[in-house]
Amino acid sequence: MRTMLIYIICILGLNPVCVLSQDAEKILDDVIKNYAKVTDYQADIHIVTDIPFIRVLPMNAKIYFKQPDKVRLVSKGIAILPRQGFDQMYKTVGDRKNYTVVPQGSDTISGVDASVISILPLSDTMEVILGKFWIDTTRKVILKSQMTTRTNGTIIASYSYGKFAEYGLPEKMTFLVDVKKFKIPKAVAVDLNNYNKKDEQAGKEGRKGKIEISLKNYIINKGIPNKIFSDK
Amino acid sequence: MLTIIRTELVKIASRPRSYIGFIAITIIVSIIHLAMYKDGESYIGFITQGFDQSFLMEGKIMNGNLVCFIILQTLILQIPLLVALVTGDLVSGEAASGTIRFLLTRPVSRTGILFSKFIAGGIYTFILLIWLGILALGIGLLLFGEGDLIVLKSDEIIILQQDDVLWRFMSALAAAFLALVLVATFSMLLSCFSDNSIGPIITTMAVIILFTIIGTMDIPLFDKIKPFLFTTHMIIWKSFFDNPLPVSQIIESIVIMILHIVVFILIAWYHFRRKDILS
Repeated sequence: MRTMLIYIICILGLNPVCVLSQDAEKILDDVIKNYAKVTDYQADIHIVTDIPFIRVLPMNAKIYFKQPDKVRLVSKGIAILPRQGFDQMYKTVGDRKNYTVVPQGSDTISGVDASVISILPLSDTMEVILGKFWIDTTRKVILKSQMTTRTNGTIIASYSYGKFAEYGLPEKMTFLVDVKKFKIPKAVAVDLNNYNKKDEQAGKEGRKGKIEISLKNYIINKGIPNKIFSDK
Repeated sequence: MLTIIRTELVKIASRPRSYIGFIAITIIVSIIHLAMYKDGESYIGFITQGFDQSFLMEGKIMNGNLVCFIILQTLILQIPLLVALVTGDLVSGEAASGTIRFLLTRPVSRTGILFSKFIAGGIYTFILLIWLGILALGIGLLLFGEGDLIVLKSDEIIILQQDDVLWRFMSALAAAFLALVLVATFSMLLSCFSDNSIGPIITTMAVIILFTIIGTMDIPLFDKIKPFLFTTHMIIWKSFFDNPLPVSQIIESIVIMILHIVVFILIAWYHFRRKDILS
């Protein structure tokens, strides 16, 4: 009798979780379907980098993307991007074979109601060990993500959308990335005259790196030749 | 005065050791160009490994500007030694060979002779630096092309846009020239006190190596000494690749180097005017 009672409690208790989990999966599926409408795109991007230990001026570039995973950034100079980028996130969100979905309730991001969904790896060898997404269920887009990775620390990204929200393509992305201490041997850098810079450097440790990427002039689904991706 | 300078330049040109610097620079630069051409990507990988896991660097990282910067960094220890090899011999070489007596009996003041040697040493240094610039930057750009410059520092990386690089290289070469003139005057000062060729050259090299080692080591005691070592200010050329430009630090180092040059010349001049050439 007691066993049966426990069984009934478990069924009644776990069922809402199962239902919620299915809802969460559907929300993620909707987001992926939205993004899957894009077979290719190109856009002008403006990158503003604020990373401790790296000093670089804002940079303009052109980005090309083609499904499933071809990405090319063409810039006049050197541009710095987060390794766990926008397309990487969609790849992780859609990977149901390796991750399980856990609903986490709701939240508000910049005045927009968002469902919060986490993903957990099924194997202990996956690079992403915890992903958390704030999703606008009305527009079916990701507003914010927090990815905790095995090797790169935590990457927090926020996205704002304009007229291409129907494709899941943002107008602005802001990435906050954990930055490890940067040090190369003085003998390699021949850095002999920084005797007065120690205090300046001390404040930089433990800070997060911030990269803001603004995208405009999207050209979507007009076809991009493969040559662009191999022509490096 | 022009005739004496010309004579001093002819003397420098006639010594085989004057070409060692040019040959050494040509060999070193060629080796670095070849190494970067063959294996530059792994060198870049070593430099960027600190942030490679978190960030992607897109663009033409290996380019002529970066290779030139690496060459300048690598040669910063060697070039003063190559300069001292010639300038450390300018006065003592005359004493060693016995020609100083003949030289000082000519109807030219000792001051004129010393300054003409100083100017000739400066011209030699300038030509050596121009040769380095042509090989490092000119050939580097031809081989590797243009691109943004990654400036390597021990605790940070600065990325400069390619349009913003040429004036920095020119300014850096000008600052490096001042630093090498400082070495030239220091070795000439020692040369005035010596009657053999090797002593001033070896002493100059030893002082530069010692000061550079002190400058490289991260020991609190040395940190207090570093601002007073002229080698610390000699690498101010690197500050032209900072962003924003540390103007006050550059001015301070340039003033300190000029003061060193003036003091070294004055001491050399004071001693040379009273130098006993009869013993």
